[in-house]
Amino acid sequence: MELAYTPEQQAFRAEVRDWMAANVPARPLVTLEREEGYHQHVAWERRLAEGNWGMVTWPEAYGGRGLDLIQWLIFEEEYYRAQAPLRVNQNGIFLLGPTIMEYGTDEQKARFLTPMAKGEVIWAQAWSEPNAGSDMAAIKTRAVRDGDHYVISGQKTWSSRASFADWGFGLFRTDPESKRHKGLSFILFDLNTPGITRRPIRQFHGDPGFAELFFDEVRVPVENRIAAEGEGWNVAMATAGFERGLMLRSPARFQAAAARLVALFREHRDRASPAAREQVLAAWMGAQAYAYNTYAVASKIMAGGHIGAEASLNKIFWSELDRAMHRTAMQLLGATAELRQFAGDRANDWLEGYIFSLAGPIYAGSNEIQRNIIAERLLGLPR
Amino acid sequence: MDFRITEDRAALVDSVRDYLAGVHGVERLRALDADGSARSDELRRGLTEMGLRGLLVPEAQGGLGLSLVDAALIAIELGRAAVAEPLVDDAFVAVPLLIAAGGQEALLGAIATGDARVALQNPVNGWVADLDGATHLIAERDGRLLLDAAPARGEALDSVDPLRRLQAPVAAKGDDVGASDALLDHAALFAAAQGVGLAEAMLAQATDYAKIRTQFGQPIGSFQAVKHHLASAAVAIEFARPLLLRAALALEQGLASAPVHVSHAKLAAADLAWSVGEAAIQVHGAMGYTYEVDLHFWMKRAWALAGAWGDRAFHLARIDAAVIGGSLPIGPAHSFA
Repeated sequence: MELAYTPEQQAFRAEVRDWMAANVPARPLVTLEREEGYHQHVAWERRLAEGNWGMVTWPEAYGGRGLDLIQWLIFEEEYYRAQAPLRVNQNGIFLLGPTIMEYGTDEQKARFLTPMAKGEVIWAQAWSEPNAGSDMAAIKTRAVRDGDHYVISGQKTWSSRASFADWGFGLFRTDPESKRHKGLSFILFDLNTPGITRRPIRQFHGDPGFAELFFDEVRVPVENRIAAEGEGWNVAMATAGFERGLMLRSPARFQAAAARLVALFREHRDRASPAAREQVLAAWMGAQAYAYNTYAVASKIMAGGHIGAEASLNKIFWSELDRAMHRTAMQLLGATAELRQFAGDRANDWLEGYIFSLAGPIYAGSNEIQRNIIAERLLGLPR
Repeated sequence: MDFRITEDRAALVDSVRDYLAGVHGVERLRALDADGSARSDELRRGLTEMGLRGLLVPEAQGGLGLSLVDAALIAIELGRAAVAEPLVDDAFVAVPLLIAAGGQEALLGAIATGDARVALQNPVNGWVADLDGATHLIAERDGRLLLDAAPARGEALDSVDPLRRLQAPVAAKGDDVGASDALLDHAALFAAAQGVGLAEAMLAQATDYAKIRTQFGQPIGSFQAVKHHLASAAVAIEFARPLLLRAALALEQGLASAPVHVSHAKLAAADLAWSVGEAAIQVHGAMGYTYEVDLHFWMKRAWALAGAWGDRAFHLARIDAAVIGGSLPIGPAHSFA
């Protein structure tokens, strides 16, 4: 066990820090859930790519730097330290990217990964359907084979980024006779294909970050399928593992929020309750615990280990931590918490953050589902 | 940067776990409770023969010369088996203090062989555990530690933990062996380690019970409400373990921030063991409320250790001073400050 950075790791940190200092926008961008903000965030993705920071752990051949997970953690720490914008392409780089890396053909890797790392194609996800939420195996949307195309008909919902993004990925029923987990395939599609209708959904905060997607005989080339026909469930489970696992929510995000919360507490300490004070400390403690655990998991993976159902432990921890720390901030703000803007035009980002944190225990598989997975697959309890 | 436990270390820990599972099963715990002896000579000899009394003693004095990280991992196993033997107090807590004090080579050698045993006086409330049979006492006075080679006996205190042997404060005398903060930090670290082991054991007991106890025609572990109690316990354990390793290494390396990390680990482990105990009793239902089900040994140890070596308020105040007080750098670039 060695909990210190090598000189090379420190030099890498300095390199990231310098680039971020020179490039992170001075003013926060408009929320990426709104069209104007979406485009600002896409521009930021491209700026990152110019610095070759699109996805540092990917091979150089696909627009990465071939770095290891400890370097990725260092990158993330400097990214959030610099208060850089959220990653509008997170569905691509953190979920679909690793999936293609594992299951895609060489041709698919070349075709999809580099534009993803460069921010040229922004991805939406399309898992849920009106009657397939936590029970994803209830998916009905069909993809019927017609020569070298699939013809897709049906409906997806809660598709993150789909209001504005370029491409989407999801699970479709390619065997119409199949039930549940069988007969599903993992297919990528251009969101501008004729027959796709996007209907933005106003979210809790009022902005249309996700959408419903209607498919009316949409023709998608067979070469857009990842892995074999009917193998979609296993591929999707791997994707879900990436989503819950190491990369989607790096610890730096929560360490940065905890540090901001401590600063907020100092500002409001004269009127803060003793309970709020303890919650602030709990936020710092939780963020640190999450960081150590992530370093431990990264070390294990770098030594050839794997994480499976353990990803569910992670997802529960960060999503409940995030909600608790933002709630604490709202309580510290008192009456001001309801205002969308503070004095002048400064956005109340604690309010934005709190609203977003409410989705955390729901997306990527609700925390109830995660607790079932832990109970059944880690503790061995009966289904 | 590598946050893994090396294979050598893991093998040592596994051997201790296997040994304890063999000789210190729950039947033995019950027997030690039933006849009032509370301590087992066989267990003491076995731990000595495994070299655990000399784990931190330098090789020159006949020990293994290992680190606080090794000792913390072994203390998890002692917690898992609810071992009440005071191995932790002298072999893991007193030894580093005596090494730091210097000039205690003979005593260190005697601790490793089991010929000497050092009891500790808690600087917060003055209580001493396992003073009977101890050859020495380390006690606090005015922020300093005294090594008393002929400790006086105090009045026995009746702990809720049936296997804990506590005494009220007595006046101590002897040589100065360092500042008392070091005692508190080391003792709190190992209380935390035992807390993690206690929690893991209680989760395992409740999980096993949920698999075999049938109601409404199926194992209660198939019900979501029961699953979720146990899954939440598993989450809490997963995120407490790394805190302990972080604190052990910080203390071993003498980092200025070590006391904060120790407090964090102690607070997290104490909360963990406490809450997992409550979940475990809930899963056991009315059986969990009986003396017959073994859970109570673990749960009562968890309460005792939660209050010992700085209670929740004490450790929270130390974290508060560092984090809100500003003496510790915080934020995403300071994971290992």
